[in-house]
Amino acid sequence: MSESGQPSRALHADESHGEHSHSAVPYLVVWIALLFFTGLTYLTGKQHLGTWALPIALIIACTKSALVALIFMHLRESSGSTRLVFVTALIFLVLLMFFTVADVATRFRPSTPAGAPFGTERSQPEGLLEHELPEE
Amino acid sequence: MSHEAEAGLPPGILAHHFSSLARQNEAMRLGMWLFLATEILLFAGLFTGYSVYRFQFPEAFAECSRHLELTLGTVNTVVLITSSLTVALAIHFARTDSPRAAAFCLVLTLLLALGFLGIKAVEYSEHFRERSLPGKYYAFEAVKTPGAAMFFTLYFIMTGIHGLHVIAGMLVLSWILRRTLQGRYSSRYYTGLELGGLYWHLVDLVWIFLYPLLYLI
Repeated sequence: MSESGQPSRALHADESHGEHSHSAVPYLVVWIALLFFTGLTYLTGKQHLGTWALPIALIIACTKSALVALIFMHLRESSGSTRLVFVTALIFLVLLMFFTVADVATRFRPSTPAGAPFGTERSQPEGLLEHELPEE
Repeated sequence: MSHEAEAGLPPGILAHHFSSLARQNEAMRLGMWLFLATEILLFAGLFTGYSVYRFQFPEAFAECSRHLELTLGTVNTVVLITSSLTVALAIHFARTDSPRAAAFCLVLTLLLALGFLGIKAVEYSEHFRERSLPGKYYAFEAVKTPGAAMFFTLYFIMTGIHGLHVIAGMLVLSWILRRTLQGRYSSRYYTGLELGGLYWHLVDLVWIFLYPLLYLI
């Protein structure tokens, strides 16, 4: 098996990845930040802030996930291909959730068959087609 | 075949079909991330189902959420976050040639994982006692709002599948602990340990979203 120049350069790059001066400080900092954000989500969650409760909880959870992915999971120092895989998974997650939630959030009674579980009066735009609705 | 000996690695690490360790490491990381992507999509489906029913039954979801043990859920969040730290430190210690410290961190991680499952078991037994159970087994006296059974169905499926991932992660980390004690991981090679750690961090990531969505509505 012959060694060309390119793999040995790659090997050298990998050795710098595992150097002895590697520091554990970022991990401790992230851990403290994660504990802080857990406390924050606990305190804001207990207030039951109405409309803002869910966006706040999701923003905090996304911040915590970004810290875990970038520092604990080493995405910050990873190669482009692994980052691409992670970002692709996130894009499909957003596609799946966005269109599903957009669907259930915008339904109103005339758009659903009688007796269907979705499309309550709560999500019906006010005054729209009210006189045309079938009697229930 | 002499490149393995040149790198001074323990035998059996570099597979013969890779021209260098760096290429093998990169292939291993990419493969693991592809697997993690499928795991993300598995949980994406569950979170989407959750979103649909939370939209449909907002009152029932809020009411049921307030009957979960918030303290236990919060303690479990701290336990999992700390176990993520100990895994990250295990990789750090392997990387800086301190295998004994790495093994100690892995043992700590496994103990924290056991603690997580123990707390979850306390919560589950409480649900069985008060019959806040999924689907047709739901007979919880405190909440009779339509949609309450759906909340507990999703609660059991999501925390159950997450719990299975915790158990799988513990098996992976035990196997890696054995290899750490055998002296397999060092600053020259620690990718196997790193990949086990990635799986454990994913388990933590999922819980980071489960905690506010189930316990703090």
